[in-house]
Amino acid sequence: MSESKSTQLTVAKKRRSASQWAVALRRLRRNKAGIVGLAIVLAYLFLAMFGGVFAAYPPGSFQPLYDLENNLPPSWKHPFGTTLGGQDVFSEALHSTRNDMYVASVATGISVLIGVSVGALAGYFGKGIDAVLLGVTQIFYVFPILVLILLFSRIFVLLVVAGFGLTMIAIILGLFGWPTIAYIVRGEVLKIREMEFITASRSLGASSRRILFRHIVPNVLPPIIVISSLLIATNILLEVAVSFLGFGDPNASTWGQLLEYGRQNIPTWWVTIFSGLMVVFIVLGFNLLGDGISDALNPRLRE
Amino acid sequence: MARYVLRRLIFMIPVFLAVSSITYLIGNASGDPIVILKIGNPRVTPETLEVIRAYYDLDKPVYVRYFLWLGKFFQGDLGRSFAGGSVNEVIGAWTWTTLKLQVTAIVLSVLIGIPIGVFSARRQYSKADIGITTAAIFGVSMPTFWFGLVLIIVFSSNLQWLPSAGAKGLTYYWWGDPFLDEIAHMILPTIVLTYVSLALIVRLVRANMLEVIRQDFVLAAKASGLPDRITIYKHALKNAISPVMTYIGISFGLALGGAPLTETVFSWPGLGFKFVEAALELNLPVVQGITVIIAVMVMFANLITDLAYGVLDPRVRIE
Repeated sequence: MSESKSTQLTVAKKRRSASQWAVALRRLRRNKAGIVGLAIVLAYLFLAMFGGVFAAYPPGSFQPLYDLENNLPPSWKHPFGTTLGGQDVFSEALHSTRNDMYVASVATGISVLIGVSVGALAGYFGKGIDAVLLGVTQIFYVFPILVLILLFSRIFVLLVVAGFGLTMIAIILGLFGWPTIAYIVRGEVLKIREMEFITASRSLGASSRRILFRHIVPNVLPPIIVISSLLIATNILLEVAVSFLGFGDPNASTWGQLLEYGRQNIPTWWVTIFSGLMVVFIVLGFNLLGDGISDALNPRLRE
Repeated sequence: MARYVLRRLIFMIPVFLAVSSITYLIGNASGDPIVILKIGNPRVTPETLEVIRAYYDLDKPVYVRYFLWLGKFFQGDLGRSFAGGSVNEVIGAWTWTTLKLQVTAIVLSVLIGIPIGVFSARRQYSKADIGITTAAIFGVSMPTFWFGLVLIIVFSSNLQWLPSAGAKGLTYYWWGDPFLDEIAHMILPTIVLTYVSLALIVRLVRANMLEVIRQDFVLAAKASGLPDRITIYKHALKNAISPVMTYIGISFGLALGGAPLTETVFSWPGLGFKFVEAALELNLPVVQGITVIIAVMVMFANLITDLAYGVLDPRVRIE
């Protein structure tokens, strides 16, 4: 008797957990590219946290120069070779992983926070806020963002020198990356706002805040997750571009900085190739993961 | 239609004012250009500095300067570059090299990208499709300029087949002729720019086609005996092309801005390269000029794209 009751319970539980998320997860697991993306992202997260352990040299070390081992092609001692200036590319690339992942995730976090709030408010309340949002999005649309970042890092050069360079770049990227998210969230909210369950909860006396954050925002989560994954990829590429152009934090090791060393000295091809591949694979990882989640959540692609 | 265009044009005014004033203020906050001049030449007397300041109107408050700039802008004058000469001349001199590269890359990537995207969608999960999607996702995951560096390492530094920098030879002509020489200089940067936007177009076309070819009307067209080629290219593609058009529209709008990173890697004398250089040197009038021109171009490109939607897609009605 009690046994049948417990099976009944588990059945009920199972049925409840076969939600949109469970279905999506099952479909993601069958998507090979998505799983590869997830694996790459997890591997990089591991490197960002513990990569320093595998690095033979501390960040920014020029020890190979004193050992007369600068400008060397890859070998067992220096798996990615050394730069003309005498840095071990492998160690620097590992230390950069932490820095670049930090910038990209903080920036994306800021963008998601602003984007979701602005988009949800604009979509839900419409009118004035909506008009302002559309205008702001339009402005961000036509701005060449790279140049703004260059000018900003010039304004806050003192912060860079004081060691807040990475955080500053992350904040700037975050402040400029949100309009796309706001735009997408607004569109979704407009759709959901008209659905019957919203009318139902309003007639039950739910406040606007409750409707917005308990009922609407959770339903907008799928597109937000997809776009966050793709935005992290974009932010990594932007950070690499900024430090490649020499506007990054000179005190922090980054992939862009390594690429700049590679460009200054073309014959040391290993500097360019290996640090570039580090960038390619993490961006690839986030893109594959984003695509995978997007496919898993898209009902129109269901077979 | 005319009213719609008029409304869009009026809407451009506040956006334009916002973009130009924000750039002006940020540029102004990023440092005093005269101080930089002083670092370059410590023997400049204070009197000379005052004269220079007055020449560039730098002695006036920033909002006055902005309105002076705005007044000149509407007369078609973008001001004076700190490096000498007018901004109009500076931009004019670099426009051709930039557009040559950008337009070639956009046209090539559209011509190659759409058929590849359609092909890939029609054979979803075939070996060819997997190859194409893999190449495409690598294309959108690479830092553009890194791809440029790799090409330079392979084709210029090692094989020595192609030049790595500049838009034309000064003393030595590749392939023995000034015209062929310009083409030789274009090849590597064009490959970089084409590959990147090609990858994007292929992904857009493929993703949209996959949704469209599953719809009933495509099945109906097939069932009514239309050849596959007509079903796909005449009926299905029309329904899948709009995001691609948006992308192409924006690309043309941004074309004048060049590709700052690619141009820097190839030392390509274009507006993108100049833009970065001007930002580095705090040559604010040039930064301001190029930013504003890009903004205006993008706004018009957007408008044209939206109008084109109305023509190509009868579901979109322009009211």
